[in-house]
Amino acid sequence: MNRSLKEKLEATFSDIKVAAPEDDRMVITTRKDAVLSVLNFLKTGGYQHLGLVSCVDWIEDNEFELVYILSAYLQDNYEYSIKEKTNIILKTRISRENPQFMTIIPVFANAEPYERELHELFGIHFEGHPRQIPLLLERDYSIPPFRKDFDTREYVKEVFDNIPVVEEKKK
Amino acid sequence: MSKKSLVDKEHPPRELELYFGPQHLGMVGNFSITLKVTGDRISEAIANPGYLHRGFEKLMEYRTWIQNFPMVCRINVVEPDSMEMVYAMAVEKLAGIEVPQRAHYVRSIYLELARIGSHLFGLWAYANMLGFDTVAQWAMYHRDLLLDLFEELTGGRVYHIYIWPGGVRRDFPEGFKDKMVSTLHSIGGCVPDYDATFFENRLFYERAKGVGKISQEQAKEMGATGQILRATGMKYDIRKVAPYAAYDKVPWEVPTREEGDAYSRIWVIRDEMIESVHMIFKLLDAMPEGEVYHRIPNPFKWNIPKGEAYVRVESSRGELGLYLVSNSEDKPYRVHFRTPSYPHGLTVLEKALKNASIADVGNIMISLYVVAPEIDR
Repeated sequence: MNRSLKEKLEATFSDIKVAAPEDDRMVITTRKDAVLSVLNFLKTGGYQHLGLVSCVDWIEDNEFELVYILSAYLQDNYEYSIKEKTNIILKTRISRENPQFMTIIPVFANAEPYERELHELFGIHFEGHPRQIPLLLERDYSIPPFRKDFDTREYVKEVFDNIPVVEEKKK
Repeated sequence: MSKKSLVDKEHPPRELELYFGPQHLGMVGNFSITLKVTGDRISEAIANPGYLHRGFEKLMEYRTWIQNFPMVCRINVVEPDSMEMVYAMAVEKLAGIEVPQRAHYVRSIYLELARIGSHLFGLWAYANMLGFDTVAQWAMYHRDLLLDLFEELTGGRVYHIYIWPGGVRRDFPEGFKDKMVSTLHSIGGCVPDYDATFFENRLFYERAKGVGKISQEQAKEMGATGQILRATGMKYDIRKVAPYAAYDKVPWEVPTREEGDAYSRIWVIRDEMIESVHMIFKLLDAMPEGEVYHRIPNPFKWNIPKGEAYVRVESSRGELGLYLVSNSEDKPYRVHFRTPSYPHGLTVLEKALKNASIADVGNIMISLYVVAPEIDR
């Protein structure tokens, strides 16, 4: 099953790398402008469940890697097949200097909170996202806090060491 | 008495903004919802998470593979055990560690115990919200009996850190099996009482039937898993879809319902608890003898080869996933948990609350089984 999907993907899209390291896992690497059409292709192929949208900060390559994890819902209730077992990991890289990408909400509506979180924690702007407002954080940070160059320890030292100590007044 | 109607037709009710939580009697956990209401009807609901954001995923990048265990279990306060499991599974996958046969069984039994405990806690929250205080007290008491078991097995009542890469920390102590069986029998013996007072009670039926209805199509669209999906008739359970531990070693059933409302979700939870108890008995019978732990390399000098892993388990709330990246260091490079409450609390909840009445907010939210720390991480 996986082999036929792999062949189909490679026949449909140019410039795509498909690896199936295990029976239940498939890793697809593609160019960033092909992401939406690959996602669409997979969705029509039955992989309707977008499990996670994640991001990895590869600071040495000066790139962000966006990761979309897909799997399939059950087709019928009496059989569990290898298709439902498979996780498809779709990866693409965007530049770290200009972190912009298009939203995938038109294909998977449930990507909305995930992209909102990535916008907040990594500072990636998703073109066409309806509400890129803060989700989890309460403060504004000069560097989005989940990037690799944001040092949590340094930040804590800077912020909390500079709070003046309350001196006890002697009566 | 004047004949003037209470409803002022010239001035229809205007839209107001109502803050529901984080301090609210109907709210479980630190979570809040901003409701736009007209009269009693909700026209829009906006979920506000973040009260419990501790940045665990970032903090884990600063700690070694083993040091992260106390961190992962705090992501879900109610059921920390599946968190341990998913993290241990991901580390095992990245490092290529095998787990002994007996440890698979021990893990499954332990996770099922945790599932029952978590469901009892959920039942407490739900029954309490509906005003069934007696049932809530029973559920809390029975959960406590399970916590006693955990205390004997692991030394901790709430956070156990029992599952470890390579197996589990220790085997069942002497006499533990009998104690577990008798505890489960005494809890199971109360199922008729629970049924008579709560599950088959007309009040529960009237209050939950048709509330927060979600069709299967909608559930799939919104990325729902767990009870929300199973209450619409789909037998989607990671323990069956992609079996881990010893879940493929014994026969068991995935309980489902058809209607997709709060009533059927709570019934799915009830049936799941009973199925879990039966599963534990079957696993205990089938459990082989032997080791429960394969030695791992020295945790202080443990560099895991470069790679990435995505693993899934079925927690008591739905599909729990972990995307873990290693850059051949002694610490993880990137950790991202796919927690079940994340889509349930942010996407499904906002949709399910639309056109509901204010009185049903707690009902819908607790029946969706949202646990706030899991969303915020």
